[in-house]
Amino acid sequence: MTTTEVYKLPEQWSEDLKDENGEPMSKSEFKRRQKANRLAAEKAEKEAAKAAKAAAKPAKEADGPALEDDSTEITDPTAYFENRVKYINAKKAKGVNPYPHKFHVSMSLPDFVAKYGSLEAGQQLTDVTVSVAGRIYSKRSSGSKLVFYDLKGDGAKIQIMADARNSDLDAEGYAQVHNECKRGDIVGVEGFPGKSKKGELSIFPKKFQVLSPCLHMPPSAHFGLKDQETRYRQRYLDLIANGDVRSIFYTRAKIIQFVRRFLDNRGFLEVETPMMNMIPGGAAARPFITHHNDLNMQLYMRIAPELFLKQLVIGGLERVYEIGRQFRNEGIDLTHNPEFTTCEFYQAYADYKDLLDLTEQMISQMVYEIKGSYKITYHPDGPEKPAIEIDFSPPWRRISMVSGLEECLKVKLPADLETEEARLLLVKLCEQHNVNCPAPQTTARLLDKLVGEFLEEQCVNPTFICDHPQLMSPLAKWHRELPNMTERFELFINKREVCNAYTELNDPLKQRELFGDQAKAKSQGDDEAMFVDEVFCTALEYGLPPTGGWGLGVDRMTMLLTDTNNIKEVLLFPAMKPEEQAGAKKSEDA
Amino acid sequence: MLLQHSLPPQRRHACFSTSRQSVNARVSHVLRSTSSTVEAGPAEPKAEKPKKQKGEKQPQQKGGKPAQSASSPEEVRAVRLQKVEELRGQGQEPYAYRFDRTHFTTELQEQFSALENGAHDESGAVVSVAGRVVAKRVMGKLAFLSLRDDKGQIQLYIEKAGLEAQQPGGFDLVKGLVDVGDIVGCTGGLKRTDKGELSVMATGLQVLTKSLQPLPDKWHGLADVEKRYRQRYLDMIMAAEVRDTFRARSKIISCIRRQLEDRGFLEVETPVLESVAGGADARPFRTFHNTLRRDFTLRIATELHLKRLVVGGFERVFELGRIFRNEGVSSRHNPEFTSVEIYQAYADYSDMMALTEDLVRACALAVKGTTQINYQGVDIDFGKPFRRASMAELVKEAAPGLDFEALMAAGREAAAAGGPEAAAAVLTQAKQDAEAVLQAHENKDVRKFISKVRSAPSLGHLLNEMFEALAEGGLQQPTFVTEHPVEISPLAKPHRAKPGVTERFELFIYGREHANAFSELTDAVEQRVRFEEQVARHNRAFEERKQARAAAGEGGEAAEEAEEDYEVAVDYDFIAALEHGLPPTGGLGIGVDRLVMMLTDSPSIRDVIAFPLMK
Repeated sequence: MTTTEVYKLPEQWSEDLKDENGEPMSKSEFKRRQKANRLAAEKAEKEAAKAAKAAAKPAKEADGPALEDDSTEITDPTAYFENRVKYINAKKAKGVNPYPHKFHVSMSLPDFVAKYGSLEAGQQLTDVTVSVAGRIYSKRSSGSKLVFYDLKGDGAKIQIMADARNSDLDAEGYAQVHNECKRGDIVGVEGFPGKSKKGELSIFPKKFQVLSPCLHMPPSAHFGLKDQETRYRQRYLDLIANGDVRSIFYTRAKIIQFVRRFLDNRGFLEVETPMMNMIPGGAAARPFITHHNDLNMQLYMRIAPELFLKQLVIGGLERVYEIGRQFRNEGIDLTHNPEFTTCEFYQAYADYKDLLDLTEQMISQMVYEIKGSYKITYHPDGPEKPAIEIDFSPPWRRISMVSGLEECLKVKLPADLETEEARLLLVKLCEQHNVNCPAPQTTARLLDKLVGEFLEEQCVNPTFICDHPQLMSPLAKWHRELPNMTERFELFINKREVCNAYTELNDPLKQRELFGDQAKAKSQGDDEAMFVDEVFCTALEYGLPPTGGWGLGVDRMTMLLTDTNNIKEVLLFPAMKPEEQAGAKKSEDA
Repeated sequence: MLLQHSLPPQRRHACFSTSRQSVNARVSHVLRSTSSTVEAGPAEPKAEKPKKQKGEKQPQQKGGKPAQSASSPEEVRAVRLQKVEELRGQGQEPYAYRFDRTHFTTELQEQFSALENGAHDESGAVVSVAGRVVAKRVMGKLAFLSLRDDKGQIQLYIEKAGLEAQQPGGFDLVKGLVDVGDIVGCTGGLKRTDKGELSVMATGLQVLTKSLQPLPDKWHGLADVEKRYRQRYLDMIMAAEVRDTFRARSKIISCIRRQLEDRGFLEVETPVLESVAGGADARPFRTFHNTLRRDFTLRIATELHLKRLVVGGFERVFELGRIFRNEGVSSRHNPEFTSVEIYQAYADYSDMMALTEDLVRACALAVKGTTQINYQGVDIDFGKPFRRASMAELVKEAAPGLDFEALMAAGREAAAAGGPEAAAAVLTQAKQDAEAVLQAHENKDVRKFISKVRSAPSLGHLLNEMFEALAEGGLQQPTFVTEHPVEISPLAKPHRAKPGVTERFELFIYGREHANAFSELTDAVEQRVRFEEQVARHNRAFEERKQARAAAGEGGEAAEEAEEDYEVAVDYDFIAALEHGLPPTGGLGIGVDRLVMMLTDSPSIRDVIAFPLMK
């Protein structure tokens, strides 16, 4: 391949990326170059701006030197930091506290915008005094008497139009205060509201005070902060630089609030059950192990709250729920983080049919309330790739698992799936259809793979896959009509499991028997098979009423409603690999 | 385990019913069966002889009727398992799938409160209730079950004729196959008995879940208190007030949440698994992530992550969640507990005091309907503004000779005039004076602080030890203890007016710490210095103890590991965040479990945690 073009770094790294010599490029090399490019571009931009400004401003400063602004910023991050530390140390030496204890804020920025946003251009309410605070995003000076700042706080932005004529300070004091303030600083401003001639909503300060200096050069307003690693590792920078990130976490809070309200209104009681247990029960997953020193006891982090919540139903709390963290010692990928948030609820005297309806109701109402429509746009492969529409309008499709699979594969599966013949048939089907099932090839795992390939793939709009075989569902109750099946469903949206629910198995003998099967699977090498919890079996013997149980993956639901395809986007501080030696020394991303 | 014999006759009857009624294979009535009604006479009890315990005397009932002896739970279980089979044999699933309840028992009690004694409800309402059978009496063609659900209790009044008109064979089912402990569903009209008991007149009754284990007879006085915590579900079945405690817990948490949301705070979730445990001084749990091949510690506080979010522009955030500390278990400590931490930009510790008062008062009102409560016999008043007193003042109150404000001033002067040695002399003298006060104290628990006083590395630490020894326990009424020394407050801002102390408070009630708050330290340069000093001091002491132990170990007896024996590290990542500018911020942490203890009058933290960690 010959090319005469200058080598251009693509936006994203990929496995097959080649450099200008056609050699494969490593991810770290790609990142190094990406950063170098960015710094060079920023520097060039700044210098151009500086030159343009110098050209545009002939020496008209008869009354003093021009004030410093973003264009006079030091460009080397280390020198920038050292300069700022020097500045605060000098203040301290003079007995001035660079970190004031308190600044009274009379109005938040969103309130300011709401109250004064409708002023006319040029209008100033000089007899009103308000005090606001926030972070400086940019600073532009005009001569020695006027500085414009962009101030952001709580998701809102206004302009500070610092005119020396309005300041309580003399010319020297005014110049000092504004020369000391840098982009990134937290400031407090007291003054009157108004709009500039251009119609920009502004506060015109009488008093202006730096409340907390930013010692590092903040991410550039123009280039922002794109590097994913930095965004996740230093989420505060991400939140400062990328305004839309904060809205993800508001949506997340809204989802949790919605679920909580929905359940509270139906008489459910919110409870807390242990995150550290002697036995990690309620799901099939590899647990984290820790150790309690004083009791000299090994403990597992919980993988699900299920068994404890059912004990509370036995205790007479007939409707309980818990929203909380679960922990699974598993690999990290686009939909998995070692800790994640679920909601589980249990409702006595209800069954999975009740929960099918309840789920449809809850999730569709949630989507409607948060998004204003049952239909949402979603980018399953990231913002650059094509979008799809997901329609949450109820009712949703319901597929019975085994008959659905039989239909897709055009085969008849044996009624009894527990036999070796059945297992071999599934092995054969997997081979026929090129479905990879790593060892151990248990019937449950084989079925799971086939379902993943053929049924889950159909589930873009919300779809229930129902009636799982008993051998895949050791905590679910046997189906009242379909032999060997259970009364269970999973809700899939965009081909991913979002909910899992069943009529709870409450026959203690049957439960012991199914736990026994899990123990056998474990001994056969399936280390994700469930642990046997004898305490729970004993509790069941006291009588668990007929109960419907339900779980929701809060993170995945949040991904859908914030149009993100990586779980790290919806976690404030996702788990990351330890920083590489090389990465450890890297300067702040600026 | 033997069932108790000293029960009131009703309960006794209920308990004995399990052992006396045998499973009769001949009973083959089918509930709701339409055909083949078998004779409806009472099933012949197949006198399965209750096993007599060795040396156990047959207790005599007051009425002179010979009492039945109790069976062991294993025997009861075997009998009940047969009943499970019997129900299935009759085509009844002993583990039903669902039940349509029309009313909670309390709703009925309320709705029919006007029904007079002896009167039937004439409206013809047919209701369905479900719950656990907690008592059972059979008298000829009449049976009474007490049914308890989530909200309350009601009597099921079962007349053979009335029930069997709709459900042939139903009465035998009640007599023979329903035991105390079972979950049943019942349908019928309502009446109030002559004795005033509102009752459902059963026209249909179904076993929904067959219990296999008998309910214990005696619970409150149970010698094995641990059993209450280990089998919380039994505790809840047996004691309504236990369920009430957890309802109160939920109310308190939702009250805190609502108060904060109304003030514009955003609820967030920060990681439990961290690289460096920070934000408090406590031994963390450690764990290992297999695929990342890295260690994690479990969070000991949410502080440092929440402050990062304030740096990021979330000006009001809170997290209500689990915290983990690898420490001893006691009536006030569980390895995992719940806290709420709250951060508000542009606020300071005075604002946090006002917020604390508001929150505590709102919770008291939500749970108790009043701000005057009683905890373990002590009247506590949340209505008045809480007392505010500095740590030094409180020590001086307890020991007039110890004026730490003066001592700390003397220490500073000495340091300025004569350098570190002169300052050390002030500390040494202060320690001697403090020790003398403790030596003279009549309480040996107070005297225990002497060794800590001796090893105090600074005047600030000394003040803290003396506060804990002399003042803390006496703070019964809500008190904000303020102005903690800077040495023990690495995350708090220096006081704006007083040198050596910080803008911090702890709320004490009943001698216990309930909340901790400060004007947050926002100065990144100072934060780095404080962290590094704290870590160096901690790890140095740890090393010394380790060496001392090694030395003692050679002599034979190795000393015990101290609670503080773990390494700590500086969270430089947090310092980097501070370097980007944290607005002036007030932060507040409240221990939720202790607040629940206070407002539910529970003596132990284990009473307010559904499943406390047990050995």
